[in-house]
Amino acid sequence: MRFMVIVKASRETEAGVLPTEQQLAEMGKFNEELVRASVMLAGEGLQASSKGARVKFSGKKRTVVDGPFAETKELIAGFWIWQTKSLAEAIDWAKRCPNPTGEESELEIRQIFEAADFGAALTPELREQESRLRAQSQQQQQQ
Amino acid sequence: MRFMIIVRATRDTEAGAPPEESVLAAMADYHDELVKAGLLLDANGLQPSSKGFRIRWHAGKQTLTDGPFAETKELIAGYTVIQVKSQAEAREWAKRFPAPFGESKDAEIEVRRIYELDELGPAESIDRFRDIGISTRRYARR
Repeated sequence: MRFMVIVKASRETEAGVLPTEQQLAEMGKFNEELVRASVMLAGEGLQASSKGARVKFSGKKRTVVDGPFAETKELIAGFWIWQTKSLAEAIDWAKRCPNPTGEESELEIRQIFEAADFGAALTPELREQESRLRAQSQQQQQQ
Repeated sequence: MRFMIIVRATRDTEAGAPPEESVLAAMADYHDELVKAGLLLDANGLQPSSKGFRIRWHAGKQTLTDGPFAETKELIAGYTVIQVKSQAEAREWAKRFPAPFGESKDAEIEVRRIYELDELGPAESIDRFRDIGISTRRYARR
């Protein structure tokens, strides 16, 4: 099972405050444990929403709105992708995570869809295309 | 520069409604284009928050809460990570993103820049992140 572990944004992350060396050290140690256990598939931090944008879809219309976005609770500041054998294992890892942004923080753990979850809507052709795209994308990253 | 294109959750995604075949086909075509341009790093869909949980740090204590979570606007339903040369290029690709739930349904995507390790400053810990493969996408088991 794969999980996306989302670090919720805070006032500090939205202000572009960078983690302290001690926070980086604690996170680095945790990341090393995740890698050693072959749990970590990806992990990244996001810049403040002031450096981003939103695209709204309404019928055929596309509207681009530049950041920053005020509702900090709706924003995310970073994420991991983990591979574990069960939800319980993901919970155990999440509980060992150092406090990600400082005094008050929140992680949200969400299960990732696998191809089999989509049923008949993911036709054999689409399924083939999906696995080919993943393989090609991985190959490109190794070059 | 790397950007994360985030698809916001809706009542339908939170209800676990499977995507329509036409949407899956449009998504597959779009990601095919990204691969052809050598820009796709990752993409995934998330199951409803009812299958997830949250961990909160508050006043030095950690609390765990199981999903579902009511505030749909705070939730995300999927994401795509791309590597581009400029903010303008990210914008162009974002505008071409397929309507995530079909042309007839309102939706919103959010495009956010990913931190590169150099931007987090020189520090011993940053080198450890680099060794692990974070932001270079080669996670070595050690």
